[in-house]
Amino acid sequence: MNRIRIVVTILALLFACSFFVQTKTFKRIANKSEFEFVKYDNENTWLKVHEFWGLEMRFVDILIVISLSLISTMIILLLIILVKRNNRDNREKLKDELMEKYQLMILEYLGASTVNMEGFKKMTRSKFNRQILIKQIIDISLNLPPEAKLKLNKLYFFLGLLKDTKGKLDSLKWHKKVQAFKELSSLNIKVYNKKIEKCINSKNDILRLESHIALVKLADDGNPFEFLGDLDYHFSLWEQITLHQLMTENEMNVPNFGKWVNSKNLDVAMFCLRMIREYNQVNNYDELDQALLHENEKVRKTAIEVIGDLGLFSLFRVLKKRYKHETYDNSLEIIRTMGKRPVKSVMNFLQNVVDAEDDVNLQIEAVKSIKNMGDDGKVRLEKMMNSDYKNYSIIIKHVLDDRIN
Amino acid sequence: MNFVFLFTIMIIVAYILLGIYSSLALRTYLRKNSYVDYNVVADSPLAPSVSIVAPAFNEEKSIVNNVKTLLGLHYRNYEVLVINDGSTDDTFKLIQENFGLVKVNYYFDYRIPCGRIRGIYKSTNPAFKRLTVVDKVNEGNKSDAINAGLNICKNDLLVTIDADSIIEPDALSKLVKPFLEEKEKKVIGTGGVIRVLNSCDVEDGKVKQVNLPKKFLPRLQVLEYTRAFLLGRMAWSKLDGLMLISGAMGMFDRETMIKVGGYDSSVIGEDMEVVLRMRKYMADQKKKYIVTYIPDPLCWTEVPEDLKSLGQQRTRWTRGLIDSLKKHNDIFLNSKYGKLGMLGYPFWFIFEWLAPLAAFSGILYTVFLIATGAMNWSFFLVLLGFIYAFSIALSTWSILFEEITFHKYRRKRDVIRLVLTSFVEPFMYVVLAWFSVKGNIQHIFKTGGWGTIKRKGGK
Repeated sequence: MNRIRIVVTILALLFACSFFVQTKTFKRIANKSEFEFVKYDNENTWLKVHEFWGLEMRFVDILIVISLSLISTMIILLLIILVKRNNRDNREKLKDELMEKYQLMILEYLGASTVNMEGFKKMTRSKFNRQILIKQIIDISLNLPPEAKLKLNKLYFFLGLLKDTKGKLDSLKWHKKVQAFKELSSLNIKVYNKKIEKCINSKNDILRLESHIALVKLADDGNPFEFLGDLDYHFSLWEQITLHQLMTENEMNVPNFGKWVNSKNLDVAMFCLRMIREYNQVNNYDELDQALLHENEKVRKTAIEVIGDLGLFSLFRVLKKRYKHETYDNSLEIIRTMGKRPVKSVMNFLQNVVDAEDDVNLQIEAVKSIKNMGDDGKVRLEKMMNSDYKNYSIIIKHVLDDRIN
Repeated sequence: MNFVFLFTIMIIVAYILLGIYSSLALRTYLRKNSYVDYNVVADSPLAPSVSIVAPAFNEEKSIVNNVKTLLGLHYRNYEVLVINDGSTDDTFKLIQENFGLVKVNYYFDYRIPCGRIRGIYKSTNPAFKRLTVVDKVNEGNKSDAINAGLNICKNDLLVTIDADSIIEPDALSKLVKPFLEEKEKKVIGTGGVIRVLNSCDVEDGKVKQVNLPKKFLPRLQVLEYTRAFLLGRMAWSKLDGLMLISGAMGMFDRETMIKVGGYDSSVIGEDMEVVLRMRKYMADQKKKYIVTYIPDPLCWTEVPEDLKSLGQQRTRWTRGLIDSLKKHNDIFLNSKYGKLGMLGYPFWFIFEWLAPLAAFSGILYTVFLIATGAMNWSFFLVLLGFIYAFSIALSTWSILFEEITFHKYRRKRDVIRLVLTSFVEPFMYVVLAWFSVKGNIQHIFKTGGWGTIKRKGGK
């Protein structure tokens, strides 16, 4: 992306130069031949002479100069477009060639007992080549057994590529830091963990997220999520999803997330509730019970969802009590939750909701939950169909149609 | 004359500033995005659920392929609602036959007013479980159809899309991202880049090869879309003054959409009007919110290929713009609405509504001067040359950004043709200004309809 900055700078410079040259040329032509393309007219703002900072000029002349400069700019832009195209193609071609070459060399290195490292050294003279080599080492190491990974790490250290990574880690540019995090975590190099930790509360979203990912990947056997306790910043759902995916892909040992359910950081609290569900950590009963009384409605909603998904029936009585005091969304979630597992004791409560509520969504969700109670639920629905109290048939038909739900 | 001078300078400075701001924002976006893996969100059980509402009116040529595309998007938790808005051709019949639809007993209420729903259909084939087709009476315009969908859909986020558009497979993941990144400000809507489909190779509802349109008018619109989306909307999004999420595709917070009462079927420019209303609602409620825009190409749509269709489209856009601006005129220079009131609205009012009218008046005045022999030809040529040079430089700038960023036109000759088109484009402004004037006249006399574009359903 630096290239964009270079392009913009060159462009501005060229524009300024062309403006300057054309102003001079135009003046020269005008002076030599007493050339006046557009005649002076004192009545017209564009054509009369104005004086600014001691200089006499007409707007129309400025327009001519700007027009010529714009045309020059357009031509320059066009050239940049064409040159950029060629450069991009050549760079891609060179990258592909180097990737292929390095792949062969690395595979040869991994297979041989003795290898001439000088061959590699020659290849790593330019920064571009070294970057391609780092990328190839990382790509290949992804699918290797631990011993072969160790051998690749040796190659990485021998070629002094750590210096490149360290340079990026110390850079003031966030995107270089991110690249360094990725390299370190992919090659399992833990010596710079302290430097990575410094970014866990960075203002930059990507830097913050990538530092979390790197720390989780590089954590020793201890708790990879210790940083959750120190998070001051917003921990977006995007970050939560990314970390969850990381845990799933790497089959990591996960901590007991109940530890941070009471975190002052609401995002951390919700993330932990979600993880309690994903990793079936039913031992966090008390934390979930407490979360139902959390001051934040979103935390309470997440707790309700999790209780249903984990099938913690004994908390359903708390949910019944909370129903009337909750927000509309949370009440809806309570009804949904009660239908996640068949619990006969809530059937009357659900029917009361259908009877008492006028809201279509609450009615539909309550009937759905009754349907999920198995045979007892079906019997109850049949009774309700024949009820004189309310016309339930439309809702029940809707819920019983498996194509809809 | 001083007014004309100031107005011209204002327009030029505004476009240059927007372009610079857009370029910087685009650069940051692309750099940040280079680390993003969208598959993560597409497959995650934690990602929010999405309802896609696609109104269809006489779309028999493209409907089957486009519904297939919608059903094949890369996202875990979403449903597709196709609203057959009283089509008079075989649109509904084709969907019914191709997706094995049967009528179901769907219970809903008309909490958002819309035309009568004749029936709701689901497929007997479990492979199309995500699909729901709503057959309704055509009692209004596209807004009415979306409102019908709004009554039926049940997910957290709502995507509105034209059924004739082709959506990129990863579009939902990209649109969802700003909602997932939500901080202290609630994200109420997100839009993306709409690209021109004409002459592209389409296979099974997917764009296989991106080609520059062969015909002049669509090529001209490629330039317009590139300028508007890459050099305009990105800046407005960053400035928090975005007023429009294209009707071709946008994602909204369903809860907020329902709270504002859905789309207003009495206005033509429903896409701008609903964004303005949602923004006003949030500001009136003193809630922190944002409307975002992502510069990724997400959706492909066919643009008019003949002057008649283009005229119908542009006059409709003008009427829509006037409707929306008039309806929400209390936003104008109202600091309560922040940058929307102080920047976004005045910009649209001055540069999108008034500028074409001023330009057309200028053209008429020029004709008058020529007719009366009072024309200062040399001055005229200088002004014309300036406007022409500015126009092609701006277009070339946007082409450069397209090249640096998304690089969709892979063939060198396509780029050269696009640049050549920019040489001719300024002369078309006279026609476009006329369409704008015509839109104003139609608005005053309450004439003009929706208009149609002849669809080819891809190449």
